[in-house]
This record gives sequence, C-alpha cells and structure tokens, in this order.
Amino acid sequence: MTASEVQKKDRLNWLTSEHPLPWLLPASALMIVFGVYPLIAAVLKTLYRKNAATRREIFDPLYNWTKIFEDPRMWDALWHTLAYTLIALTFQLVLGMLIALLLDSDRKGYGILRAMMTLPLVIPPAVTGMMFLLMLNGSFGVIARLIIATGLLPVGYSILGNSATALPGVMLAEIWQWTPFMVLIMLAGLRALPKEPFEAAAIDGATPVQAFFKLTLPMMSKVIAIAVLIRGVDLLRAFDYIKVMTDSGPGTATETLTSYAGRIYFGNSDYPLASSVAILTLVLVILTSTIFMRIFKVKL
Amino acid sequence: MELSRPWQFARDALAAFVTGVFMFPIFWWALTSIKPISAVFDKDRIVWFDFIPTSINYAVTLLGQSRSQLAIDAGIGMGVAGTEAYDSRSSILDSAVVSVGATAVTMMVAIPAAYALSRMAFRGRNVFLNWVLGQRFMPPIAIIFPLVTTYKWLGMRDTDNYYLGWLGLMLIYALMNLPIAVLLLKSFFDDVPKDVDEAAMIDGATRWETFCKIVLPMAKGGVAAAAVLCFIFSWTEFLLSLFLTTDIRTVPVKIQTFVTSTGNEWGFITALGTAAVIPGFIFILLVQRHLVRGLTLGSLKE
Repeated sequence: MTASEVQKKDRLNWLTSEHPLPWLLPASALMIVFGVYPLIAAVLKTLYRKNAATRREIFDPLYNWTKIFEDPRMWDALWHTLAYTLIALTFQLVLGMLIALLLDSDRKGYGILRAMMTLPLVIPPAVTGMMFLLMLNGSFGVIARLIIATGLLPVGYSILGNSATALPGVMLAEIWQWTPFMVLIMLAGLRALPKEPFEAAAIDGATPVQAFFKLTLPMMSKVIAIAVLIRGVDLLRAFDYIKVMTDSGPGTATETLTSYAGRIYFGNSDYPLASSVAILTLVLVILTSTIFMRIFKVKL
Repeated sequence: MELSRPWQFARDALAAFVTGVFMFPIFWWALTSIKPISAVFDKDRIVWFDFIPTSINYAVTLLGQSRSQLAIDAGIGMGVAGTEAYDSRSSILDSAVVSVGATAVTMMVAIPAAYALSRMAFRGRNVFLNWVLGQRFMPPIAIIFPLVTTYKWLGMRDTDNYYLGWLGLMLIYALMNLPIAVLLLKSFFDDVPKDVDEAAMIDGATRWETFCKIVLPMAKGGVAAAAVLCFIFSWTEFLLSLFLTTDIRTVPVKIQTFVTSTGNEWGFITALGTAAVIPGFIFILLVQRHLVRGLTLGSLKE
C-alpha cells in the first residue's frame, strides 16, 4: 500500500462499518432533532415575554423567570410535586420491600403470584387513573364505599373532590400501579443474595429481623438506590394520573409542575411561561437526581 | 427459611391475599365493564355478582355499534343518542400503528448504537452513553411545546395529514424509548462473548458481517425483549400524544374523553380500559425473564 492509498483509506474510514460513526449516526440524529433541538428552543422561549394583547413575543430574558418565582401557584405546584414524589416513593419502597420478602419463596404457586404482581406495570397510566376515578367515586365507587363503611369518611364524601384528600387519592393510583415495580426489582435483588452469610447469622442466633437489617438491607443497597432513582425521576414529572383524575383540581390542590405547565399551555397559550415551568421541572429532575447519585454513589 | 406448618400456611395465605389486593382493581374494572348501567350506578349498595351481564359496552366501544339501537333491540328503552363518540376502533388502530411503528424505528436506531457501545472503543464513548442516559431523565413536558410548533411549521400535524401525524408520534415515541432500548440492548450484546466476533474478524470478516451473522443472531432473545418493552411503553404513553395530536387519539387519550359534562360513561370507560390492558398482559408474560433488566436500563440482571 502506498502512502496515498493509506491516506485515502483513513479518509474513507469513517464511512465504513469499522468506524463507530455510521453505527451512532441514526440514534444521534434522532436525539438531536427530537431531543436537543426542542430543548434549546424551549430554553430560548423562556427568554421571551408574551404580550397577551398583541400576541407578540418580545425579548425580555428575566420576565418569565421572575414571574414564576414570584408566583405562589408555582411554589404550590413545586411543593405538591415534592410531596407527591416523597410520599409515593416511601410507600412504594416500603410496601415493595415487604411484598418482595413475602413472595421470595421457592414453594409451589409463588411463581404465579410473582407473575401476577407484574401485571399492573403494563397498564396505561391514563387507564389506571380513569379506573381509580371510578373506584374512588363518593356515591358508587367501590374503594370509597369501603372506606366510608369503616366510618372514616362521611357518607357520599368525594375523595378527589375535596382538596384535603385529592392528592392522597391520586397517590393511591400511583402507589397501586408502581409498587409492583419495586417488588419486581427487590425480588431480583433478594434472589441474587448469597446464602452463606444468612446461614452463618442463623447459627450465631440472629433473629430474622436482625438478619434483615444487618445483612439484607446493606447488601441490597445498590439495588434499592437504582430503583429509587428510576422511580423518583418518573414521580418528579408526574402528570398522567393528575390529568385524568383531577385535572390538577379541585382548584389547584393537585397541581404539579408538569400539570401546571400543561394548564398554562392549554389555558392561555402563553408558551414562554409554560416553557419556563417545564424547564424548571427539568432543572428539578437534574438537580435531585445528581445529588442523589452523588450521595448514594449510584451509577446506572 | 424453614417455617413451621401453621406459620407456612399463614405466609401462603398472606401472600395470596396481598396479590389478591393488587389484582382486585383489574378484576373490578373487568366486572364493571359487563354490568348494566343500573348496577354500576347503584348508590345503595355495592353490586358484586347479582346482575345480568351485558356486552353492550364492548359492542359500542370495540365494534362501533350504536347504543341507542342496541337498547331498542334489547327492549330496554330508547337509549341515549350520540354514541358515535364512543366508537374506539380508530383509536385502537392509531395506538397499534403508532406503537408498532415506534418500536420499529426505535430498534432500527438503537441496535447499531448499542452494538457500537458494546464492541467499539472510541473517543466520546462515555459522553454518548451519558447523553443517551440523560434522555431517560428528561421530562417530556420540557420538549413538547417546541415540537408542537415545529410539527405545525413542517405541516406534520395530524390535522395537516393524518399519516404524517402517525409518523410524528412514532418518531417522538422512538426518542422516548431510545434510552431503554440502547442500554438494554447494550447489556445483551455485552453478554455475547467478544472472542467469537474477534475470531471472525481475524478471519477477514468486516464489522458489519460479524454483527449480522454473529452478534445479532446470538442476542436475538434480548432484541425481542427490548422490542416488546418498547411496544408496551408506546402503548401506554399519554402526555406526548395528548399535546401533539388532535384527530389521532391513542387509546389512553381517547379513554379520558369519555368523561363528559353530563356524566362519566363508566361502562364504556371500563370496557375500553379492560381491552387496552390485554396486549400488555400478553406481552409482559413473554418478557417476564428480562423485565427487571429492562426496567433498570440493563443495570440489574435477574
């Protein structure tokens, strides 16, 4: 091979399958056109002020940002988002762990129970939301009727129609659908644990509770952290259940950042303001997930 | 752990009970979907099994029949007019086409990327990996407004052209599925021993040939699992479809339109809802083995 031939081969190299470029190009193109470009466009949009009367957009970089930070509705939405995330996550994690421990058995029939437990994961969340809307109806919903029968709530009480109980009502659908996610991951973690430490602990007279806190939990920490991270990110951008069950209401009682952005968008078409709230959601997700990954040293 | 017999029995019973509690809502929807209206809206008691089952809700939502006609035929009154809005056949078609198309697009772009990430050493590999992963963390709300504007500008909205509307949804769903597909496929490709394709390349095969003839066939179970997961995620997606399309109504978007100012059509909602979960139930049983790996983006294996 002459020098010029080698040079020519180098130049053409990136077009052949030996070079990573052709392999990565389709995915990169998709991510640039439908991910990076809209994201930049959304960020730029937040720098414009929409004049409601003339419907023109004027460059005014701080207008939307000062507006949303002075907006009590945004702070409420932020607070709802964080409360929703933390409470639902705690329930899902604790219930998920307990159910995983319960179902972690090689006895006959448990395989079927474990398979059944995964079914809620594939239901469209909008469908789940509608179905819980039915079951939580104060006058004929089966769950609401059962709660009312215990005397905790007055007859005909509308769980989703009262601001005090609307958010917990939405969370019920969320917890029902995604606790199985935790169960599934915790089960995978439990099944991968080595047997020897537990046998040794049993010989030393450790109780099952001690073994759980001293052995199971520490050995499962990586698995738990990954599950919390993935679920937490999804919870921070919660939208589906809220949209179909309460549409952020009553009033703004169940408004999260994502649903607030959607309401601005559908309501008064103030795209710049809606984009600001949407970008704030992104910032929140990035901040919390980065801090979480640093503290717990998780890597996906 | 060995338990004594009564304890073991208690555990079995508790395990069955807890699973039952989680299955109950699904059972209740399916039951409600075959109830006549009087049993659904009974304010005095909860109706369990003492009703005459009806298929009317399925006939209207899945077969597009007219409720008033069905009611007249059955001799139970005049029925209510205007049930065309509950005919969900076009929504099921929309959902099916978009989900299948999105899965195909995802796989076409994700498989090569996953292969490169699994087999090639190159500058910027980690950057690319984090880019893909970062995509999974992005809230869809952050990109949807500019996309609506862009689609409008390109004439790609479903109101401009129905088929382009399908394509538009497929592409954005493909983006949403991409992180899970790439990372999951990478983990499956990593499982194929590298010696095999290195040996083939020493024998003069190009990368493309080793990929097509060795790596891809050896990882086909994983590819199938990734495709099934992409289908499920597309089938269940709600936000993007809600914001992006008007005429095209995927099933999750359609079902929430059954909430009307005059009352919620619970019969139709439960019928369509029950029908909408069936594809997922079938598919999930097929990928049971790879589910954990898929849901954790390839980082946990079962």
